[in-house]
Amino acid sequence: MKKSLEKLLNKPLPGDPLLPHKALITDVEELAPDHKKFSFTFLDEKLNSSWNHIPGQFVMITVPKAGEIPISICSSPTRRGTIELTVRKVGRKTEVLHRLKPGDLVAIRGPYGNGFPVEIMEGHNVLIIAGGLGIAPLRSLIWYILDRRHLYKEVYVLYGTRNYESVLYKEELKRLRERDDVKCLYILDRIETEEDRQWTDRQGLLTELIPEVDLDPTETYVAVCGPPVAYRFIGKELLKNGYPESQVFVSLERKMECGIGKCGHCQIGYKYACVDGPIFPLWDTKNLPEMI
Amino acid sequence: MEFHIDKAKVLPKENLEKFLEGLKKLGRLIAPVRKGEKFVFDVIRDVLDVEINYTRTILPPKKFLLPYRRERYTYSTDTLEFKSSFRPVEQIIFGIHSCDLHGISILDSVYLRDNPDPRYLEVRKKTVLIGISCRPDEYCFCLSTGTAFPDGANWDLFLTDIGDDYFVSIGSPKGDEIILKLRKIFREITKEDLDRYKKSTSFKKALFEIEKLPDFGRISQVIELEYDSPVWEEEAKRCLGCGTCTNVCPTCFCYTCVDIPDLDGRKVARVEFTTSCQYPYYSLVAGGHYFKPTRADRFKHRYYHKLVGYLYQIEKLGCVGCGRCSAECPAKISMVETIKKLRGTADEEELREAPEQTTTG
Ligand SMILES: Cc1cc2nc3c(=O)[nH]c(=O)nc-3n(C[C@H](O)[C@H](O)[C@H](O)COP(=O)(O)OP(=O)(O)OC[C@H]3O[C@@H](n4cnc5c(N)ncnc54)[C@H](O)[C@@H]3O)c2cc1C
Ligand code: SF4
Ligand code: SF4
Ligand code: FES
Repeated sequence: MKKSLEKLLNKPLPGDPLLPHKALITDVEELAPDHKKFSFTFLDEKLNSSWNHIPGQFVMITVPKAGEIPISICSSPTRRGTIELTVRKVGRKTEVLHRLKPGDLVAIRGPYGNGFPVEIMEGHNVLIIAGGLGIAPLRSLIWYILDRRHLYKEVYVLYGTRNYESVLYKEELKRLRERDDVKCLYILDRIETEEDRQWTDRQGLLTELIPEVDLDPTETYVAVCGPPVAYRFIGKELLKNGYPESQVFVSLERKMECGIGKCGHCQIGYKYACVDGPIFPLWDTKNLPEMI
Repeated sequence: MEFHIDKAKVLPKENLEKFLEGLKKLGRLIAPVRKGEKFVFDVIRDVLDVEINYTRTILPPKKFLLPYRRERYTYSTDTLEFKSSFRPVEQIIFGIHSCDLHGISILDSVYLRDNPDPRYLEVRKKTVLIGISCRPDEYCFCLSTGTAFPDGANWDLFLTDIGDDYFVSIGSPKGDEIILKLRKIFREITKEDLDRYKKSTSFKKALFEIEKLPDFGRISQVIELEYDSPVWEEEAKRCLGCGTCTNVCPTCFCYTCVDIPDLDGRKVARVEFTTSCQYPYYSLVAGGHYFKPTRADRFKHRYYHKLVGYLYQIEKLGCVGCGRCSAECPAKISMVETIKKLRGTADEEELREAPEQTTTG
């Protein structure tokens, strides 16, 4: 019998990695149509104080009666006490979740996945590229980096979405633009209303912003999150502008049923999005079929 | 698994019934029984029902470790208190062929290595695995996958047919205890038994028609290199997407998990059930997006996962050559044939005949 297995079989049962923990909804904020940000605290105080995650990681949240879904953590581990998730209403489980109010109970397990390589990024420039809801996991990274600002060189945030109405974290992103230690470029698919115009005068695709970034690409780490279709174009544009594909990180979504590498649903080529990802270097797209 | 020849014992065939009776006292006894033309692993009431001479069962013994439907927890919607009512029983699975033992070892690696699944571990702790030697039929290709013999798999006892007796190898302390408990029906091995044992194992090897076996050398490379081959499309044309091939496979483990509320909606069961990568909804996410949209994508994915993916995850191939997927496929799709087609016509025999061409390149 394999030694490692023999050891396992003889050890007491480990803790259950699939067991979720009760969490209270402390706040619900409507960010945009069909997009809500939920804040949670665990009922177990110990868990609240020991909770730690890496930006880019996700949790499995139990929507009572409906089931579990993977959702990225949009709060930064540098701001402790609550966990925040931003959820778009797209189907059955997210619809039930959207009906919940402060004071309601859910259950959460995690954090899962690898997260962005924040430690490797230290001492370098960071370019953050968010499309639509992709800003959610990247919000975690933005605040993580800004709260430890001295460890990073130049920081850029590029954010593109449909129109002003669909902009998430409106106030936060406005304030971000006013800071002088981070450069923000925002773009909208279409500029039609006065509000759109006030938000930005840039109309077009996220990819158009990339050549405007004034950074030495070889000294820069890039974090990208957006709709799957965008990755191909953003990836191409980044490579064209000289960013090394081993320094470009994308966050990928797949169907997930366990989050810990057991159910098989999240396979991308020979890797699992839940344990080997969801953050992958662009370099992996060369080797993993069906990745983007 | 190390071979402790000094620890091996001999079980005279006439004592088999007594052996099974003895096992039955240790827990729930599971063994192969006849079901019409075919065989299944089932719980044994009468040890006379046990069928030793079978080639393959419809489903592998996996179903007693990872049943089709597994309850993870129940929870109350008022308190969100999660409870597990999972209580595995002591069980002895007898008569497992070598390929299926390797299949279980693969599941062990998947479920127990990283983030061990406590329910699987609990079942596994309470399970004794007893293997038995077998003879291949036209669907078996375990010689190619290196799983024709129990070496390297996790098991407790292994019985090799050596004529009038079984040569009983001991693979674990648990297996040793069983022998100790039932020591009266075993005898010590002799030099002659050992010779018969050696003969028996090399005889099994000789039963394979080597030229019909698929070549598993560099198989991961072949799959990767042939990723865009038209063979996938061609083979998938016949595939019905029924998922039989994954359901009968001893190494397939994918599952889906759903919450099922009871009638008044106050208690919810969280249930895992076996799924298949051959079903379209396997990769379906919100907005109707399929990551594996076509039949050919899904067909190829199965081969890719087994022959590339498992290797990356657990350093073993995900196929043990049991032949079930080919034997049970309603479209008569054969893994062996698919692999041969993928390897193509420029096969190694041809290359051997023209060595100058290949060595200079
Ligand atoms: C790592 C990761 C992070 C995510 N982060 C966020 C986030 O921060 N905010 C957010 O709104 N959404 C996020 N998602 C997507 C979210 O999981 C889905 O929107 C959600 O599962 C849809 O559930 P539903 O029942 O409402 O949809 P339905 O359309 O009813 O979907 C049915 C089932 O398909 C699966 N599914 C559907 N869409 C997805 C999807 N995009 N990804 C994975 N599984 C899916 C789920 O099992 C779901 O229950 C993330 C997904 C992953 C994998
Ligand atoms: S058993 Fe045969 S027909 Fe059914 S999904 Fe598998 S390959 Fe296709
Ligand atoms: S892929 Fe087919 S032959 Fe290989 S282990 Fe699974 S069922 Fe058996
Ligand atoms: S979510 Fe189950 S294996 Fe990744």
